[in-house]
Amino acid sequence: MTATPADGDDQPRRLPLVVVLLLPIALVNALGFVVPTLNLLRMSFFEAQGTGAMQEVFTLATWQKVFTDSFYAELILNSISTSLLITVLTLLCSYPIALYLHRSSGLWRSVLLVLVIAPLLTSAVVRTYGWIVILFENGLINNALAAVGIGRVRMIFNKTGVTIGLTEILMPYMILALMAGFGKLDARIEEAAASLGASPMRVFRHIVLPLTLPGIALGSLLCFVLAVSSFITPKLLGGGRVFLLATEIYDQAIVTLNWPVASALSILILLIFGTALLLYTRALNAAT
Amino acid sequence: MSNQESGAGGKSGDAFLSLRGLTKRYGDFLAVDHMNLEVPKGELVAFLGPSGCGKTTSLRMIAGLTPQSEGRIIVGGDDLTGVPTYKRDMGLVFQSYALFPHMSVERNIGFGLEMRGIARDEFANRVRDAVALVHLTGMEKRRPAQLSGGQQQRVALARALVIRPAILLLDEPLSNLDAKLRDEMRNEIRDIQKRLGITAVFVTHDQSEALTMCDKVVVMNHGRLEQVGAPTELYEQPRTAFVAGFVGRMSRIRAVARNGSTAFAGQRLPVPAGLDGPIDIMIRPHRIAIGPVVSEETRHQVTGTILRTVFVGDILQYDVDVAGQIVSVELSTRGNESLLKPGAPVSLSWGPRDVYVFGAAP
Amino acid sequence: MDERPISLPLKLLALTMFIFLLAPLLVVLPISFSGDNYMIFPPTSWSTRWYGAIFTDAKMASAFSSSLALASVVTLLSLAIGLPAAYALVRLKPPGAAALSSFFTAPLLLPTIVLGLAILIVFSGYGLLGTFQGLIAAHLVVTLPYAIRVLSTALSTLPITFEEAAASLGASPMTVFRRVTLPMMRSGIIGTTALCFLVSFDEVVLSLFLTGPRLTTLPVAMFHRVEQQADPMVASLSVLLVALTLAVVLIVDRTSGLARTFVK
Repeated sequence: MTATPADGDDQPRRLPLVVVLLLPIALVNALGFVVPTLNLLRMSFFEAQGTGAMQEVFTLATWQKVFTDSFYAELILNSISTSLLITVLTLLCSYPIALYLHRSSGLWRSVLLVLVIAPLLTSAVVRTYGWIVILFENGLINNALAAVGIGRVRMIFNKTGVTIGLTEILMPYMILALMAGFGKLDARIEEAAASLGASPMRVFRHIVLPLTLPGIALGSLLCFVLAVSSFITPKLLGGGRVFLLATEIYDQAIVTLNWPVASALSILILLIFGTALLLYTRALNAAT
Repeated sequence: MSNQESGAGGKSGDAFLSLRGLTKRYGDFLAVDHMNLEVPKGELVAFLGPSGCGKTTSLRMIAGLTPQSEGRIIVGGDDLTGVPTYKRDMGLVFQSYALFPHMSVERNIGFGLEMRGIARDEFANRVRDAVALVHLTGMEKRRPAQLSGGQQQRVALARALVIRPAILLLDEPLSNLDAKLRDEMRNEIRDIQKRLGITAVFVTHDQSEALTMCDKVVVMNHGRLEQVGAPTELYEQPRTAFVAGFVGRMSRIRAVARNGSTAFAGQRLPVPAGLDGPIDIMIRPHRIAIGPVVSEETRHQVTGTILRTVFVGDILQYDVDVAGQIVSVELSTRGNESLLKPGAPVSLSWGPRDVYVFGAAP
Repeated sequence: MDERPISLPLKLLALTMFIFLLAPLLVVLPISFSGDNYMIFPPTSWSTRWYGAIFTDAKMASAFSSSLALASVVTLLSLAIGLPAAYALVRLKPPGAAALSSFFTAPLLLPTIVLGLAILIVFSGYGLLGTFQGLIAAHLVVTLPYAIRVLSTALSTLPITFEEAAASLGASPMTVFRRVTLPMMRSGIIGTTALCFLVSFDEVVLSLFLTGPRLTTLPVAMFHRVEQQADPMVASLSVLLVALTLAVVLIVDRTSGLARTFVK
C-alpha cells in the first residue's frame, strides 16, 4: 500500500501499552546510568575524612583540592598532553591504512576491513598483554635489539610504552572515522588535478588532505576522547608508575576509598570531553 | 457542498457495504472528506482517482488499518467502527502482495484458516481448492521468493479468498505487473469475483482498469467523491469537469458564460441554466467532425487552423488552433485520407449533445 | 570506484602500519605455545602446557564459567528488554520516540571508568557489590544500547505490510508479533545476541569495580594476572578468547550475513 502519514490519533489509546513496553529499559537506564551519574556530581561536593569514612556535607573542599594541589594539576596536564600526542600519532599511523582501504575494492577490501575491525572485538586486556610481550625486557623488540648488538631499551612501565600501546589500540577507531569522512574523495578529482600538472605530493597536499579534513577532525575527536578516558592500557603498560586521570580515579575509588576525589576527577574527564566536543563543533562550523 | 452520492440501483437496506460520512483528517489536512457510499452485495466497485485522492486511505479505513476520524463503516449490517482489523472478516490483497517470506505458498494461503482454527481436514481441502482456483497446483511447497510476480499475485489472491471473507479489498494489486500479465489477471480476478459472488472494492489509478473490470466506479479527487456510477454512465454523463477529463479523453475549451450563453470563436453556444462566469466546455475528441457536415440536427460550428498533425496508427490526431485555444480532434484512420497540413484552415463541428459544460475555477 | 593502481609508497606505508596494527594479536599466538615458566619472546621452548594450565587453575576455571553464565544471562535479558522497547519505539511511534531512542543509547557516551565509578558508589549502598545481580545490572547498562540500536534498525527496515496482512487474515497483535514480526527479524535478533554476548564477555572496567574475592569474571582475572604475574597463561587465554569471538562472528555471518546485520 502506498505510504500514509503516521496515524497520530492512535496515541491516546496506545499510550499505556507503550509505557509498559518501555518501562524495563527506562528503569535500567535510570537506575544504572542517570542516577549514578548525577550522584557522581553530588559526591564530588562531599569530602572524605581519613580512610574510607565520608561526611555527607556539602563542601567545596574536594574541588578546591583538585584545582589547587599540584599533583592533580600535573595529572590533568599529563593526561591531556599524552592524549594529544597519542591522537597525533594515531592519525599519522592510521591515515595510510584508511587511504589504502578507501582506494581498494572487492574481496581484498572486505578482508582488510575485517582485519581492521577484528581487534575491536577482542578485549583491551588481550591487546595490552600483546604489547607487554612486544615491549618488555625479554620481549620481541628488546630481544631483537639485543641479538643485533644494540642494548635493551626501557619501553614498558613508562609513558613510552603507554603511548605506543594506546596508539595502536585506538587505530581501528581512527581508521573507521577517517574512512567515514573520506566520502568526498573521488579518484577522478585526483586525476583531474594530476592532468592539470600537480605532482602526487601536491595532489595530496592540495586535494586529498583538505577533502579528508572532516574525517581527520572526527577521528581526532574520537581518539582524544578515548585516550583521555582509557584505563586498562595505561594501568597495565604503565605498571602503576604512569599517572593519568583514569588510573587515578580507579586508585582513589578502590585503594584509597576517597570517593569524592574520584568523583571530582570523573566530572573533570566529562568536562574535558565537553570542551573537546565544543572545539570540534566550532571547527566544523568554521569550515562550512 | 456535501458529497451525497449513492450507488445506483439499491435502497439503503440492500447495501452490503455502507460508508456513512467517512472522514480522515491529518491535522488540518482532509484526506477523505465525508464519503457516502452504498455497495450492493456481490458487486465489484472501483475506487478510481489520481494519487493522493484518498482512495487508498478509504480502503485502509474499511480494512481497519487506518482509524477513521469520523463516520461509520457498515458491512453486512454490522457497524465496524472501533473493531480492530483482525476481527473484521475481510480479505486484503496488497500492492506488494505482502506474502510471508518465511512460509511456503501452502502456509501463506492457510494462514487465515489457521487463525480461525479450522479443522485439519477442512483446512487441507480449502487450501487445495484455493490453490486450484488460482491455477497454482503443484507449487504449494515453494517459497514466495521462488515465484514470479504474477504467481505471487495469485497466491495473495488465494490467501485472501480462502477465508471466504465478507468483503474482498484490493489495493492496486496489478500495478507491479507488466501489461500483458495485467490484462490476464484482470480477467481472472473478475471471473473469480463473479463466480464466488463476493463483494469487492478495487483501488486503482488506471481508468481503463476500472472501466473494464468493475460493476461500478467511484471517482475520487482530493478526498471527495466526485461521482459514482456504471462505467458507461461515467463516460457519457460525467457530472463534474474532473470526471469528464479523467475518464476517457477530452478536448477542453475555456470560455465565459453570461446570461445563459457564451460566445466562442464567433459561435454563440447555449449554456446550462445557473452557470455564470468562467466555464469549461468539454467535447470528446472523436466526436468532433472536421469539415462541413451535412446533417439533420443543428450543430455547433467553429473555424480554426491546424497546428499539429499526429499519426498514431489507429488514430489520426489534429491539434487545431481555435481562437487561441487548442482543440484536439481524433479520427479513425481509414487509409485513404489526405493529411491536412499545419496552417491549413479547417472548420470543426459537433452535436449539441456531445458537449459538456461545467463551471470552472476563476 | 574505478580500478586504479595504488602507488607503491602508499602500499608499503599501509602494509607497515597494518603490521603495527595487528602486532599484539600476532604476537599472542606464538607465546601461547611457549614452554617456558616465564614470559620470554621468542620462547625458548614450545609446549601446550599453558593451555592445560587454564583448566587446572581453579580461579581461572571459575572465572571462565562466571563470565559465560553472566554473558548468557545478560544477553537473554537484553533481548527480553530490548525487543519490547524497540517495538514500542518503531511500531507504536510515541511522541518523542527519537529523543527516547537517543536517551537509551546515551550510556555508551560515558567512558566506562566514569560509569564504573558511578555504579560502584550507588550499588555499594544497596549491597550489590561483588554480587552476580550487580554485575548483570551493570552489564545491561552497556549492552542495552546496542540491543536497541540493532533491533530498532531491523524492525524499521521491515515493511509494515506483512504485519497488516497477518492482521487482515485474523491474527491478533500478539500472534502477529510471534508468527510474522519475530521470524522476519531473525537476522537482527541473531546480531543482537552475538553483539551483547561479546560486549558482556569482554567487559572489563565495569566488572573491575563490581567483582569481589568470591566472584570474578574472566577479563578481570586476566587483568589481575597480567598486573601481578604476567606469564604465557594469559596468552593461551587470549587465544581462546579470540577463537571464541571468531566463532561467534562466523556464526552470525553464516546465518545472516555480517554486513547485512550491522550495516544499514
